[in-house]
Amino acid sequence: MYKIINKSVKRIDAYEKVTGKAKYGADLNLTHQLYAKTVYSKYPHAKILKIDTREAERLEGVVAVITAEDVPGNNIMFGKFPVLAKDEVKYIGDGVAAVAAESREIVEKAVRLIKVEYQKLAGVFNIKEAIDKNNGKVHSEIEDNLIEHSHHLLRSGDIEKGFKEADVILERTYQTQFVDQAYIEPEAIIVIPDPYKVGVEIHGSIQNPYSIRTNVATVLGLKINQVKVVQSTIGGSFGGKDESVMLMAARSAIIAMKTGRPVKMVLTREESFLESSKRHASKAKYKIGAKRDGTIVAVENNVYTQGGAYNNKAMFVNWRASIHAAGPYAIPNIKTDIYGVYTNTVYGGAYRGFSAPQIVFANESLIDELAEELNISPQEIRIKNCLKPGDELGTGQILLPGKIPAPLEKMINNVCKKTDFESKRKKYIKERESFNPIKKGIGLSCTFRGAGLGGEGIDSASATVTIDIDGSILIQSGLVEMGQGMRTAHAQIVAEVLGVSLDRITFCNTDTSVTLDCGPTVASRGTLAGGNAMLIAARKLLDRLHKRAAIMLDCNIIDLVSENNFIFNRLDKSRKLTFKEVVEECLKGQGLSLSAQGWYTPGPEKLSSETGRGNAYPTYSYGASVIELNVDTQTGKINVEKIVAGYEIGRAINPQIVKGQFYGGILQGLGYALIEEVRNKDGYLETKNYDDFLIPSSFDMPEMEVTIYESDDPVGPFRAKSVGELGIELMAPAVANALYNATGKRIRELPLNLERVLLGKTLRK
Amino acid sequence: MQNFNFIRPDNLEEACDLLVRYKDRAKLITGGTDLIIALREEKLPNCLEIIIDISNLKELNYIKEEGKYIRIGSGVRHAEIANNKLIKKYAPVLSMASSVVGSPQIRNKGTIAGNIITASPAADTIPALIVLDSILVIRKGKEKRKMFLKDVFEGPNKVNLKSDEIVCEIYFEKLPLGAKSNFIKLARRNAVDKSRMNIAVVAQQNKNKEITNIRISVGSLTPIPERFKDAEDLLLGKLPTQDLIQKAGKKIAEEMINKSGYRWSTEYKEPVVKSLIDRVLNGIVEVE
Ligand SMILES: Cc1cc2nc3c(=O)[nH]c(=O)nc-3n(C[C@H](O)[C@H](O)[C@H](O)COP(=O)(O)OP(=O)(O)OC[C@H]3O[C@@H](n4cnc5c(N)ncnc54)[C@H](O)[C@@H]3O)c2cc1C
Repeated sequence: MYKIINKSVKRIDAYEKVTGKAKYGADLNLTHQLYAKTVYSKYPHAKILKIDTREAERLEGVVAVITAEDVPGNNIMFGKFPVLAKDEVKYIGDGVAAVAAESREIVEKAVRLIKVEYQKLAGVFNIKEAIDKNNGKVHSEIEDNLIEHSHHLLRSGDIEKGFKEADVILERTYQTQFVDQAYIEPEAIIVIPDPYKVGVEIHGSIQNPYSIRTNVATVLGLKINQVKVVQSTIGGSFGGKDESVMLMAARSAIIAMKTGRPVKMVLTREESFLESSKRHASKAKYKIGAKRDGTIVAVENNVYTQGGAYNNKAMFVNWRASIHAAGPYAIPNIKTDIYGVYTNTVYGGAYRGFSAPQIVFANESLIDELAEELNISPQEIRIKNCLKPGDELGTGQILLPGKIPAPLEKMINNVCKKTDFESKRKKYIKERESFNPIKKGIGLSCTFRGAGLGGEGIDSASATVTIDIDGSILIQSGLVEMGQGMRTAHAQIVAEVLGVSLDRITFCNTDTSVTLDCGPTVASRGTLAGGNAMLIAARKLLDRLHKRAAIMLDCNIIDLVSENNFIFNRLDKSRKLTFKEVVEECLKGQGLSLSAQGWYTPGPEKLSSETGRGNAYPTYSYGASVIELNVDTQTGKINVEKIVAGYEIGRAINPQIVKGQFYGGILQGLGYALIEEVRNKDGYLETKNYDDFLIPSSFDMPEMEVTIYESDDPVGPFRAKSVGELGIELMAPAVANALYNATGKRIRELPLNLERVLLGKTLRK
Repeated sequence: MQNFNFIRPDNLEEACDLLVRYKDRAKLITGGTDLIIALREEKLPNCLEIIIDISNLKELNYIKEEGKYIRIGSGVRHAEIANNKLIKKYAPVLSMASSVVGSPQIRNKGTIAGNIITASPAADTIPALIVLDSILVIRKGKEKRKMFLKDVFEGPNKVNLKSDEIVCEIYFEKLPLGAKSNFIKLARRNAVDKSRMNIAVVAQQNKNKEITNIRISVGSLTPIPERFKDAEDLLLGKLPTQDLIQKAGKKIAEEMINKSGYRWSTEYKEPVVKSLIDRVLNGIVEVE
């Protein structure tokens, strides 16, 4: 019934990317540009006694050196990030000065001529040290190292009563590591002094143009609209190109204003590892109570996320965690507390999943441990407890049939049936005793995920759609394309509404001076919220076109249909006009506007801050997966052989892109489970490049079988909801569960690397 | 990045002359897969003036059979060695090792001499070349000298080659008829990763199944690549049993601790080397 959506059309930006025409931030060059570079801290925590810039300034070709003293407006940005550290460095990636010179070579030389005198200070480097009162403070004004507004809770039922009713109670602690988003393109920024008025124009690898604009404006002491941000083609971001590019943009903008010249700053891979955000490390204490028959009666958890030196995400990450921490199960009594702490280390930020990888690892490992304790199968315990139509979430929100789907039972059963889960699981337990050191294992996990921002913020989105005289259509979203395929989904939505072929549509990168501020491109909301904005804009235009066409065809507006580039009377199909004819008449004949803003807002979600209860999200996506692996019990090497997964996502606007998101997410999830780890030693970063920070290669990719479940969820455009992040979170617990099945060893800390799998414990250098 | 001049001589003669003239102010480059990284990290001597590109020299690019020897030009790339018929026939252990270096890109660029001279404890071709008892042909100006490969290493990433010397050839005796060899690499990921451990072995049994020839080398275990003579002696002349093989593995683990000390990774490597020795030998030896 659909003409354009629900089809795997080719990406509208594929040609430019494949042929190299699409420019990335680092590809942009302007005449008279300066090359800027940051001088980073030498210590994880130290007082700055003196910064001597004289020698650098004397170097031929150096044009400007800035320190905190040179910041015209506010030196402190959202999340306490200083543009440049003033009196104290709080982690190894703090910038203390920035230099701009005529060439890259000169600036590389100049940064080494900046002499900084430090007085080393003791620091706190992990969650344990941060919580412990005697270990010192990261920010002098914060006694307990607790990140502001990062404590989120959920209270449901009566937790004490719940545990009293339980026949079995388990208490477990799970830990996860910092990981880097590991995008191929390192961060790049170019700032151009506005040639016509006071202000700057910023291009670069920017995931969230509007927050960069706001922050840079405060730094420069300008009005928001004196700063214009244009997104370059982005070579991967996954949440990462945010704080680091904010810092780069702020420093470069100060230099651009000061010198009147364009300033370019491109990070090396090492600088990117040093200065960009990571997925928060975490430590999660769980307590679960259940009846003999497997009915879960109570879950209590206490989760700490490690925020690093500065943080502008823990308050959001932890809120999402608080809603999902008890898992996709109907549990009458829940007590959840999530906290974020400051440490003198690299900092946590957004990374695909946004708390889910940590939480789901803990919770889905725990469910298997409980099943084992009760001698029930992992499938059965999930089927017994998983969210079903009509169930109430811990937040009190009800999964009303017809409104919010709850298909997990079917999905879990399907992945198990497809993989012959139960009989393999039993077989592999028997084979644990066999002579062969290579053991096989099978593991299950499932999840649910609130779609969009929900109560985290207002999920509004903007779009601008403009039809030109030749019938071509320009779309521009306030949300950004960073490889996920959002732009193609948007184009498909607009083409479907207007009844035109996709080749008429051209995209435009996000430009803050054109499209309205609608927050960051996060929370898998690009299609959900952004697509709704496109839908609204396109419908406005269709309405204008049909009003005119009705007059031209002398018929009733309700009888008009747009399809295949024609607008016709459905009662008499010979009465038709081409799309272009109607456009020409509107624009030339009548002087009408064929440009429309789409603004979508679901309005605020209503939640209580005392209990965390209320409608957290408008709807949820779901996933279930089974992993089959083998593990070499003599080396600890895990080889994942096969993954069978199902995801419920409403409707796939572009099934191929949706599957691509899942394949990529699955592999990224396996990297998290098995090999990835950003290591800090006493605050010093040990993993600085891809020789140490390993991510999966194509040879590590298992066979994958992904099923997309569609539903009639009414929230998103054409019933589409969230896809982007869902793929990643099922992997770590499924691997840990499969490892247990293979070996009888339960490992509660990620990654499941050679040493941990062999010895069951962590080895540290 | 350090500054330097880049010279590409037309023949080996010229390359040798340049080296003699510039000594430690010069560095050779072949594939560049190690050198470029060192350059970017500024780990080369400050006095560096020129980089001499010898990657095009035909004189260093051959694999040939000469009587009982196989001779490999120092500039031969891993991909060629991995697929070469002579190597597959007479020294399969080397072919196996070369085929797991890095990725196709790295194997198409990286050379055997580069792997040796970088002398990383995790290098993949070194244990294979060690069990082949390889010999290096080294040239300085017009003078030539030979040296056992095992003697070139001084420590991790350190070789005792003079700055005006160039490795021209690596050669070794063909493995005798009936000798078997094996190589395994353990790494954290399945491609483009340095070995956590690698093992090269050669073994031969007579018709009574007694071991008549045994050579074992393990990478990433000891500061200097070597054959594990104690373990070899344990096996030599014996009828191999599972018990004996396990004892050999134990010997190697002991030697690792003696030579490298008890390090953070020992707790892991000790059991693993025992198991892998067991596995690599069982792959080629007929056990009682
Ligand atoms: C991504 C990546 C993955 C890798 N994976 C592996 C791996 O899995 N296993 C492994 O063993 N190695 C690996 N390496 C290391 C490297 O590829 C090998 O060591 C390779 O063999 C080096 O050869 P090259 O020709 O590139 O040496 P170059 O970088 O050109 O030179 C290395 C050194 O050898 C010297 N040199 C070169 N030729 C001569 C000569 N004829 N005489 C005297 N000195 C000479 C140079 O001066 C320099 O000091 C990897 C490297 C990278 C970048």
